[in-house]
Amino acid sequence: MSEVFSILEYAFFRNALAAALLTSLLAAMVGTYIVSRKIVFISGGITHASFGGIGMAYFFGLNPLLGAAVFAVLSATGIEWISQKGKVREDSAIAILWSLGMALGIIFVFMTPGYSPNLMSFLFGSILSVGKAELYLLLAFFILTLAFFIVFFRPVVYTAFDPEFARIMGIPVAFFRYTMSVIIALAIVISIRTVGIILVLSLFTIPQITAMLFTRDFAKIIPLAALWGALGSLAGLFFSYFFNIPSGAAIIFILTLQFLILKGFVMARNFFRRDEKVIT
Amino acid sequence: MSKPLAILENVTTGYFSDIVLKNVDLEIFPNDFIGVIGPNGGGKTTMIKVLLGILPLFKGKVTFPQGKPNMGYLPQISQIDKSFPITVRDLVGSGLKTERSWFPHLSAKQKKQVNQMLDEAGLMSLASKPIGELSGGQTQKAFLCRALINHPQLLILDEPNTFVDKGFEQELYRWLKELNKEMAILLVSHDIGTISPMVKTIACVNGTLHYHPSNQLTEDLLKVYNCPVDIIAHGPVPHRVLKDH
Repeated sequence: MSEVFSILEYAFFRNALAAALLTSLLAAMVGTYIVSRKIVFISGGITHASFGGIGMAYFFGLNPLLGAAVFAVLSATGIEWISQKGKVREDSAIAILWSLGMALGIIFVFMTPGYSPNLMSFLFGSILSVGKAELYLLLAFFILTLAFFIVFFRPVVYTAFDPEFARIMGIPVAFFRYTMSVIIALAIVISIRTVGIILVLSLFTIPQITAMLFTRDFAKIIPLAALWGALGSLAGLFFSYFFNIPSGAAIIFILTLQFLILKGFVMARNFFRRDEKVIT
Repeated sequence: MSKPLAILENVTTGYFSDIVLKNVDLEIFPNDFIGVIGPNGGGKTTMIKVLLGILPLFKGKVTFPQGKPNMGYLPQISQIDKSFPITVRDLVGSGLKTERSWFPHLSAKQKKQVNQMLDEAGLMSLASKPIGELSGGQTQKAFLCRALINHPQLLILDEPNTFVDKGFEQELYRWLKELNKEMAILLVSHDIGTISPMVKTIACVNGTLHYHPSNQLTEDLLKVYNCPVDIIAHGPVPHRVLKDH
């Protein structure tokens, strides 16, 4: 136990803890929207498309996260536009975007002279190297997203659930759908630091489906997903530190384990409840 | 006779460049109860979208002589994602059009309004349930509550008798008869047999619109109106739509 407390004395570990916590809180809000609207696949496309931006930024000597953000936002709004026009097969368009992004990323990384030491950290995350500046960026984006969700909670839910009816009610549907696309894109890019491109989507879905074991109310899924996400991320972070494995993989593993245990618990509870009903 | 609530004049519209409705004229008066029938793909739902103002017109115009009326809308339930995590109470609340639509919670007055509506419909015990746990009839009722909570002058229902049992259908029609005393109703159905006893007039929509000023319609007239719906088959018999000749 003393070992657990002793690593808290390191600034890098405290930064990592804060990043894990903030990322899971951010993912709780954005992920609930993603899962409710059933746009997990779209979000996967956005995530992988952003790798093209990372590769390009490397090639031109820019900040990789900036490149990822530009690619992610463009693909997110592009997909929203396609789905509103409804003229192209959306799933095929996403698949193309998904693989094209990865291909572009690899091409540019290989064209960049010299070795790219951080490439693995983008694919699998490297939370232990998160610095103060990145932490502040994460905090700022979390606060902005939280404020947006608090002020516009009802229109966000209504436009996700039944956009046509929302439009009839006079809600500017396009504004909310596009704004949410941008928020999703940026939230994903910011979270890449923590768990990496390959695993980031799990952070936006596993805590949500865990929460949905207990409630089917949008407003209640968010805090529950935040709770399970934060618990799993922190546990995963300690796990990754002590067993010396990549943080992203450790966090996702713990989140999944947590889901399975709770799923088992809920199934057992329902089983015994049914028994009670038979008796009475 | 009072002024009409809504007038469709020579309306032509569709999606992208496909024309679905051509030169449609219709007047809706305050106490009308119009049954809108026609084959699938004939433009029934498209006409509703024109009335609701969410589909641009290629030609013609829609006017509201008494000012834009409050409209209540019940969409086809098959268009709705029933697994979306929203409770019955929140669903009904989403039909409220008020000053506080930008804030996360409903005002106390709005909450009372929602509760009253749920009480009236007998859905109070289901208020906190997600819509995915409701039966077909309960779902229609919940969406009808969402349409009614704003006290509409014109209630538009798109196929409210799908996914429901006979018992609920009877209850629904009794309810609509009562509501018709206070508002105009436009009831879309592909099944003329069930709706004709309750509606006052019938509009046949199949690319164009033919208005029939009574609820009695013979098969011959339907032919004249070029509105191939099956008059006999309804209830448990699988519905059959005759093909155009």
